Amino acid sequence: MDVEKKNAFEEGYSVIEIDEDKLIPCPVCDAVNIDKGKKNTCRRCGSAIYHHRSFSTEKSWAYLITAMIAYIPANLYPMLVTSAFGTRDESTILGGVVLLWELESYPVAAIIFFASIMIPIMKFLILIYLLISVKYPIGKDKKVNKHKLYYMTEVIGPWSMIDVFVVAILAALIHLSSVEIVAGTAATAFAISVFFTLLAAHAFDETLIKDNR
Amino acid sequence: MKIENEDALDNFVICHKCFTLNKEIPIKDGSKAYCSECGAILYRYDSKLIDHGLALSITGLIFFVLANLFPLIQIDLLGSEQFITIPKTIFSLFDNGFYIVGLICIFLIFIFPLMIFIINMILFMLLKMQRGEKITKELLVLLSHITPWSMTDIFFISILVALVKLIAFGQIHIGIAFWALMIFVLIDIYITKNIHLSEIWMLRKRMLLKKDTA
Repeated sequence: MDVEKKNAFEEGYSVIEIDEDKLIPCPVCDAVNIDKGKKNTCRRCGSAIYHHRSFSTEKSWAYLITAMIAYIPANLYPMLVTSAFGTRDESTILGGVVLLWELESYPVAAIIFFASIMIPIMKFLILIYLLISVKYPIGKDKKVNKHKLYYMTEVIGPWSMIDVFVVAILAALIHLSSVEIVAGTAATAFAISVFFTLLAAHAFDETLIKDNR
Repeated sequence: MKIENEDALDNFVICHKCFTLNKEIPIKDGSKAYCSECGAILYRYDSKLIDHGLALSITGLIFFVLANLFPLIQIDLLGSEQFITIPKTIFSLFDNGFYIVGLICIFLIFIFPLMIFIINMILFMLLKMQRGEKITKELLVLLSHITPWSMTDIFFISILVALVKLIAFGQIHIGIAFWALMIFVLIDIYITKNIHLSEIWMLRKRMLLKKDTA
C-alpha cells in the first residue's frame, strides 16, 4: 500500500503521503478518494467504491452478453405490426428504416438508423474493447483516450430507446378496428437489450483504465 | 504529494471526462472552472444556486404535471378522433401485453423524472433552511443513482419522430401536453447541464461548515 502515515510529532499534525495515481473519484458523488484496494467506502457519501475487484469485469461482461443475445431477436422479429383494412404488414427495425428512406423522410430514417442500429453496435464494440483492454495489453501503444470513449458510450447509450418510445406512441394512438398499429416482439427484446447495455456500462469499473493517465 | 488529512482531498477534482486530477481553486461568482487537460467544465460557482435550483425544480414539477394531464397528440383517423396522454401511452403497452416494455417505460419517462424533480426540490429546500445533514446525503446518493435513467428528453425526440410517421395516417393536432413537455425537457436539460451534483455536494459542505462555526 502506498498510503503512508508519517507522524510529524514536532509539528503537531500528521501528514499523509500518497501517490497521485492512487486517487480515484467516487462513482456516486465524484469526491476524490484514496484507492485502498478492497473494502473502500467513499469518505463523503459512504458508497462502496468498486468492492468487487476480484470480479470487476465479469459483471459488466454478463450484462453485455445478455444485451447482445437480446439484440438478435430484436432485429429478427417485427418491431411494428400495421394492419389496415385486412392487410397485415410487419416491419423489422431495419425494414422500418428502409421504408422511411423510400418514403423520402431521410432525417427520420437517419435518426432511427443511428439510434437503433449504429448506437447499440457501437456500444457493444466499445465496451468489448474496453473490457478486454483493461485485462490484456491490447492497444496500449495507441493513443486512444479510453476515458473519453467510455464517457461517449454513457452519453449516447440511452438514445437507442427512441425506437421503443416511437412504437409505444404509435401503438397507443392508432388502434381502430380497421386501422391498427401494434408493437411487435422485437420491442420487448430491444428494450431489454438497451436496458442491459446501460447496466453493462454502469457496471464497468472506470478506475481499471490506468495506462492513459 | 502530501496532504494533511483525507478531508484535504476536497481541494481536488477529478475530471469526469478524462480522469485528470485538478486542484480546486476559488473562482468568481457565475464563472466556471475548466479541466486543465481536456477543457471540460469541472465546476461552477453560483452564489444563488439554492434559489435558482429551487425555482427551476418547482417550475419543472408544474410543467411535468401539465404534461401528464393533458393530451399529447390528437389524430383525426377515419372520422374518429383519437388522442393520447403520457400515462395512456404507457398503459396501452400493458393492455397489449407488453409488460416488460411498459415497466421499463413507466420508470424511464414517469417515475424517475418525477423523483428527480421532487428530490431536487426537497434538497434545495433543506439546504435553504440549513438542516437535514443526514437526509441531504441520502438524497444526493439516490439522485446520482437515478439521474442516468431519466429519459424524458429522448421521449420528446421520439414524439417528433412519431409525428413524422403519423403524417400518412391523418390530420394531427398537437396538444397542450406537448408544449408542457417541451418546457419540462428544456428545464431538465438546463438543470443537468448547469447544476452538477458535485456542486450541490460542495454547497452542502459549505452549509455544514457555516453551521459548525455558528
